[in-house]
Amino acid sequence: MNPWLRVILYVMAAPIVGGLLAGWDRRISARMQARQGPPIPQPFYDVLKLWQKENIVVRRSQNFYILFFLLLVVFTGALFFGGSDLLLVIFALTLAAIFFVLGAYKASSPYSFVGAERKLLQMMAYEPMILITAIGMYMVTKSFQVHQIAGHPTLLVLALPGVFLGFLYTLEIKFRKSPFDLSCSHHAHQELVRGITTEFSGRALAMIEIAHWYENVFLLGWVYLFFASSPVLGVAVSLLVFGFVILVDNVFARLKCQTALKSAWVVAAVLGFGNILVLSFLR
Amino acid sequence: MLGLKESPWIIHYDASSCNGCDIEVLACLTPLYDVERLGVINTGNPKHADIFLVTGAVNEQSRDVIRNIYHQLPEPKVVVAVGCCASSGGIFRECYNISGGVDSVIPVDVYVPGCAARPEAIIDGVVRALAVLEEKHRDMAAIAHSIDKTLYMRAEASDAAELLALQKIAYQSEAEIYGDDSLPALQQTLDDVQNDLACMVFIKAVVNGKIIGAVRGYVEGQTAYLRRVVVHPYFRQRGIGRRLLDEIEQAFPDVTRFEAKTGHQSKRNLYQLAQRGYKEFKTEPFTPAITWVCLQKERTPAIQAETPALTP
Repeated sequence: MNPWLRVILYVMAAPIVGGLLAGWDRRISARMQARQGPPIPQPFYDVLKLWQKENIVVRRSQNFYILFFLLLVVFTGALFFGGSDLLLVIFALTLAAIFFVLGAYKASSPYSFVGAERKLLQMMAYEPMILITAIGMYMVTKSFQVHQIAGHPTLLVLALPGVFLGFLYTLEIKFRKSPFDLSCSHHAHQELVRGITTEFSGRALAMIEIAHWYENVFLLGWVYLFFASSPVLGVAVSLLVFGFVILVDNVFARLKCQTALKSAWVVAAVLGFGNILVLSFLR
Repeated sequence: MLGLKESPWIIHYDASSCNGCDIEVLACLTPLYDVERLGVINTGNPKHADIFLVTGAVNEQSRDVIRNIYHQLPEPKVVVAVGCCASSGGIFRECYNISGGVDSVIPVDVYVPGCAARPEAIIDGVVRALAVLEEKHRDMAAIAHSIDKTLYMRAEASDAAELLALQKIAYQSEAEIYGDDSLPALQQTLDDVQNDLACMVFIKAVVNGKIIGAVRGYVEGQTAYLRRVVVHPYFRQRGIGRRLLDEIEQAFPDVTRFEAKTGHQSKRNLYQLAQRGYKEFKTEPFTPAITWVCLQKERTPAIQAETPALTP
């Protein structure tokens, strides 16, 4: 497929797919807790409603950062699905998250500060493993270009089982799920007011939600990359991983930030770096 | 409007009393009742909420909290008083520290009866609140279209809380200019504003019952001192501040001179005041970050001509 076509498809379809995934997430979570749960399109209702609400800001510039957060997340996914450089994708994603943190700092509220600091801690926790994932993919395919990685004839997961497991671990952080939902819990009322999103209301909050949908689709796309030589298996595993994340979210309580950080680095060192070490000895 | 009725997010506050209704509100979230099936989320953040659920009667300590939470909810918002105490004060009505139901502090849209209110009744109250929410959304759209129907009138003592909330929102842009939260306008408490209301003239700009702008002033000798022209950030650059200045100048018919002051970096304020004929005559250092610029204006000759007797 033409890369531009893929980019356009991503930009158009990701919010729909991401929203539906979020709806399923809430429904499945509710069923796991013996509740009926909201209708599947609930996340769309929420965003539509937020779009119509009054916009209360502490500083008007804070919403500007959130707009850039959304644009950069879309940009990250577009780079990825366009088949660009994986390292560029990673740094674009980091930049997007930094804009989110800056927005929260701009709001000058102690609660959003706590959320922003925890978000930074989370980034410290997941960045090493994400870089190792990119390096691992390079070692197998000899390329950082996503389209060449996707075109590789073997299943990457066979050469990178440790990296895949480590990547799953960071996904728990990226999806904002328990036990790593430190900066802003997915579930209401489990947070210091509302963590990093405390001072955002109305359209800004809707944009954060939409950015989250885009990000989720992009991350599941990355999971697919591990199984790219067999598309059906790839899509199935991506959805399975999403289900697994929901399950973990419902059975674990939140960890302390220190534990989250340490465990993420231990996982990155043992599973990620160990895997890469083995690969480098084998060839 | 699509979405609004399907996604009511709630903030819940228990004002006082026996906590029975408080527990029943939380019972609504349990698997048996599961309000989330209606899209309800019990959020802990007023800025994300649409519906303000209050249980219990209002006492001296909870009054300010209720007011504060109410003003932090973004429009459109609905208040639901859950249970007898929240509706009227209930059996605590006669207590020395109870001021009555929630409607003694903020406007209430839906009353849920019961002692304690049953979860079914609370859910019914929330569903009814949705109809009110939708109506308010229509009104809000009407406000946006009826900004030219702004009313200018004297503020009353009961406006103090709303004026303070507006002042704090409006002065955020100034705090950003100076990188300093120590601006006196941001430091004012409710008591200070009530004090100002007692001894100064306040003019407020009202659209559909909501105060979107205000100015205050007082007279000393032949000079009227005008203070704190505040306009809600969303209604700026539409001539409301200009009109407020005109109105308050007319509120002091007997003075010959007006004086106003603003920070030295508030270029927009300085420009607006210059446009209205105010001229800088002195500066006063206030803090390292802020220097006050004092501006004055003589009453225009047209009005002086009507009262020649004053000048010998």
